Amino acid sequence: MRRWIWLSVVAVFAIAYPLLLSSPFQQRLGALVLLYAIAASAWNIVGGYAGQVSVGHVVFFGCGAYAAMGSYAKFGLSPLFGIPGGIVIAVGLAAIIGVPTLRLSGHYFSMATIAVAETMRLIVTNTDWLGAAVGLSGPTVPRNIFDLSFLSSLPYYYLFLFVLVITLFITWWMTNSRMGFYLRAIKDSERAARSLGAPASRTKLYAYMLSAALTSVAGALYAMMFGFVDPESGLGILISVKILIMAALGGAGLLFGPLVGAAILVPLEEISNSWLGGKGAGLTFVVYGAIIVLIARFQPGGLLSLFTQRRKSKSDTESKSDTGAGHAP
Amino acid sequence: MNLKHVTGLLCAAAMSLVLAAGAQAEDKVVKIGVILPMSGGTASIGAHAKAALEVATDIVNNAHPELGNLPLAKNAGLAGLGGAKIEVVIADNQGNPATGQNQALRLITEDKVAAVFGAYQSGITLTSSAIAEKYGIPYLNSESVAANLTERGFKWFFRTTPIATDFAKAYVDFLADMKAAGAKTDAIALVHDNTEYGTSVANTIAGAFKEKGQPVALDVAYPVNATDVQGQVLQLKDKKPDVIIMISYTSDAILFAKTMQSLDYKPAILLADDAGYSDPSFIKAVGKISQGVFNRSSWAVGPSGSPSAIIADMYKKKSGEEMDDTVGRQMQGFFVLADAIDRAGSTDPAKIQAALKATDLKPEQLMMGYKGVKFDDKGQNVLASGLIIQLQDGENYTAVWPKANAEKPPVLPYKGW
Amino acid sequence: MSFVLVQVIVGGLLLGAVYALFSSGLTLVWGMMNIVNFAHGDFVMLGMYVAYVVYTLMGGGPILGAPLATLVLATVGVVVYFALIRGIMKGPMLAQILGTFGLALLLRYSVFWWFGANFLSMPPNIVGGTYAFAGLRIEASRLLAGVVALLVTLGLHLLLTRTSLGSKMLAVAEDQTAAQLMGIRPDTMQAIAWAIAAGATGLAGALIANFFYIVPTVGETLGIVAFVTVSLGGFGSVPGALVAGLLIGVIESLSGYLIGAIYKDIVVYVLFLLFLSFRPQGLMGKM
Repeated sequence: MRRWIWLSVVAVFAIAYPLLLSSPFQQRLGALVLLYAIAASAWNIVGGYAGQVSVGHVVFFGCGAYAAMGSYAKFGLSPLFGIPGGIVIAVGLAAIIGVPTLRLSGHYFSMATIAVAETMRLIVTNTDWLGAAVGLSGPTVPRNIFDLSFLSSLPYYYLFLFVLVITLFITWWMTNSRMGFYLRAIKDSERAARSLGAPASRTKLYAYMLSAALTSVAGALYAMMFGFVDPESGLGILISVKILIMAALGGAGLLFGPLVGAAILVPLEEISNSWLGGKGAGLTFVVYGAIIVLIARFQPGGLLSLFTQRRKSKSDTESKSDTGAGHAP
Repeated sequence: MNLKHVTGLLCAAAMSLVLAAGAQAEDKVVKIGVILPMSGGTASIGAHAKAALEVATDIVNNAHPELGNLPLAKNAGLAGLGGAKIEVVIADNQGNPATGQNQALRLITEDKVAAVFGAYQSGITLTSSAIAEKYGIPYLNSESVAANLTERGFKWFFRTTPIATDFAKAYVDFLADMKAAGAKTDAIALVHDNTEYGTSVANTIAGAFKEKGQPVALDVAYPVNATDVQGQVLQLKDKKPDVIIMISYTSDAILFAKTMQSLDYKPAILLADDAGYSDPSFIKAVGKISQGVFNRSSWAVGPSGSPSAIIADMYKKKSGEEMDDTVGRQMQGFFVLADAIDRAGSTDPAKIQAALKATDLKPEQLMMGYKGVKFDDKGQNVLASGLIIQLQDGENYTAVWPKANAEKPPVLPYKGW
Repeated sequence: MSFVLVQVIVGGLLLGAVYALFSSGLTLVWGMMNIVNFAHGDFVMLGMYVAYVVYTLMGGGPILGAPLATLVLATVGVVVYFALIRGIMKGPMLAQILGTFGLALLLRYSVFWWFGANFLSMPPNIVGGTYAFAGLRIEASRLLAGVVALLVTLGLHLLLTRTSLGSKMLAVAEDQTAAQLMGIRPDTMQAIAWAIAAGATGLAGALIANFFYIVPTVGETLGIVAFVTVSLGGFGSVPGALVAGLLIGVIESLSGYLIGAIYKDIVVYVLFLLFLSFRPQGLMGKM
């Protein structure tokens, strides 16, 4: 019951936010939070639920971004038409990357995904057809509504909210299906899950492909909003890290973890940049880095794990009221 | 420490920051939004530009009769707006096109700036100027050279800097003159990084030489921020071109200079395309082993007492650095923008836009060596030009070409160390 | 074989030795404690700045700068271990990435705040020019870095395999509870491991500073090379890092010379990926 109350409060706030805080910058901030929440939630499927820490997810992000901008720059179509293409490419790429790399353990998987992402960035940087280092731009002056080039951030906000709801719904549906059950088993112990007959490789691959498809949508939306993509902003390793950090900060493997992470980090970054960035002393990142370090140190399971812990300990009738799971031992 | 409280506080803090944002416009102050890389790999550019803009603001806001014909220097403030002062609001683009656009939006809608100035990296100029275009706010760019910026049909975008096509032509003419003077300039090698700056400038230069019937003999591309350039230097040593044209940022420029010394390689003529070679850090780090390198610049400091010498002095006092071309182009661009606002006599964007379109500054009204400032329909300054300078003593650049502006004749061959 | 090719390979080997040098610290903490240190490149950067400060304040070359950088960074390593690493070590890998990435930003931009963003550089020839040997040219500063890389690698390897301190550290890495039962204090051992790893990284930074440029963001450039080197060599394997470093150095130089520098990183990454699919535990790693 409490869960539903919370959920409706969040939903009402999400719908009303751009009306409550209606300055263009606040609306854009809201849209950005949702956009990063989509990407981080998509990452969460494979990084959080399946426990496969991909540090190269920007590859799929870039697929979407380049497909959207490419459909305009190369074929004169609305960037919207690039979305299905981006999804197809991302899922195909995920299959190609996933089959050999998903069997790698822990850090090797992470390193392999970094190597794939960097390779892709370098290839695109040297491919003239994809704009090479100059990048691809979207329509500078919108021709019609399908170009999705708006002055106000309001249409973006609700579009992103819609996509985020779908993403979260897919995630929720997945966790409650057989696949989610397998994923939890694999995350706990892959060997045990295998011995009990869970199709570990296939399940991980499906999760990876699903995650890739949704990440590509996030990339496409990102490119549409900014009207531009280049190798650094569409395929740079920092974007992977940013997505990962948002999910981890909010709580990886929790449905609303990525949203919480994005809701804290995006405003923190934009506003500290607005306040401190112009001084040119690098203080933005000192503050940003310090906060991340503190959260990692004192709440390694992510911020949202605070509340799940409390719920667990409340429902625990046993004497050990606070297990401190997620806390540093 | 109770972490739930910390979390709550964090959220509350983030929220209140959002609410608190939004500044009030004050009377008698004209705000100009400035977008620059203040962090990340090109942050030194932003730091220099910040100091330069402080000097420029001082020149506009206070009386500086010693600066002669320079517009706005003589009296304090903007005469056209009843002596209003200019205030610069700097935003960090973090080297990221998305951040640049967000900050442009903030400057326009929260700080209510009269015009936007920036943003160094071409990609960021592209995204941030798109926002200014949508809002109908004048955007002045003084240093991005990508050709496509002025090809977008924008009505609010103006660019004062010369672009690749301008200086490619200068290189062709310069080398023709050197050949006439007896230097061997037949085989030309281009060395450039694979960024948007490196590739686009290299392509333009290669095109210009091809048109002249002298195709570039060797094209050496390398990844930006290289860890090592021995392979490239050896490639050059192997092919022995007569002229090398370097298109590099500071990091790689330093590495190339060091590697060329350690592998004992010198071309007859080393010609650099601004960027890293104009950075004072480059001269401090490896100037002594890069003696005789030619460089493109629109900046030449005049005799002491001349406006450019006074400005160079003011800048050095402010930043502790020597004035360089990039900083100079930025200051010049800023003066052009301030002059337009002054002539507009208002902070109304449309009036500033009209004033920018009507800009017609003569060489004696400029601190840079342009032939003037006058925008075409696309917003490009058609009178932008440059000259060739040489690092003869390893410490200071001197103008050597064209002859009319030369302080000293060019010295050949490249001396190195 | 053409003469230039020999120079290319020698250059590649020297470069590779440097890669190995600044990767050995990473492989130590990564392999032994299962910690992904995203701040590693910034440790190298700190080492470079210490060397630079030593040079500007005291006019000292690498003889003074390198040991000081080692000491300072070893101290930083211990502080970081107790303040941060100990808390996130047993947490999920994500918390480690979060923590060390935050640390990286903190270090990078604290230095930025203090020193500014300008590119700095040691004076040319601070180590002593360039040796010309039968037409081959070898920079003394690179040679010094290469030789030290070999010595450090050898030293670390001997420390881990031949000394009781090394076996204690390995015991902790293998099974902490068992080690504790044997009277070894894991905390002390791991703090020592961090001190050694960070010290070696600082030493690397001080030596690289002699022929590289110094800037707060230099860690980004170097960090990713270290990551690839360590994974290729096998997490935790010091000799592996050496072999992998040399290999990457030569591959980069050769591919840079033969097929073009913009493709050299692609060649390295693709070879790394191919290699991973054949030998998922790295060159010398244990599965």
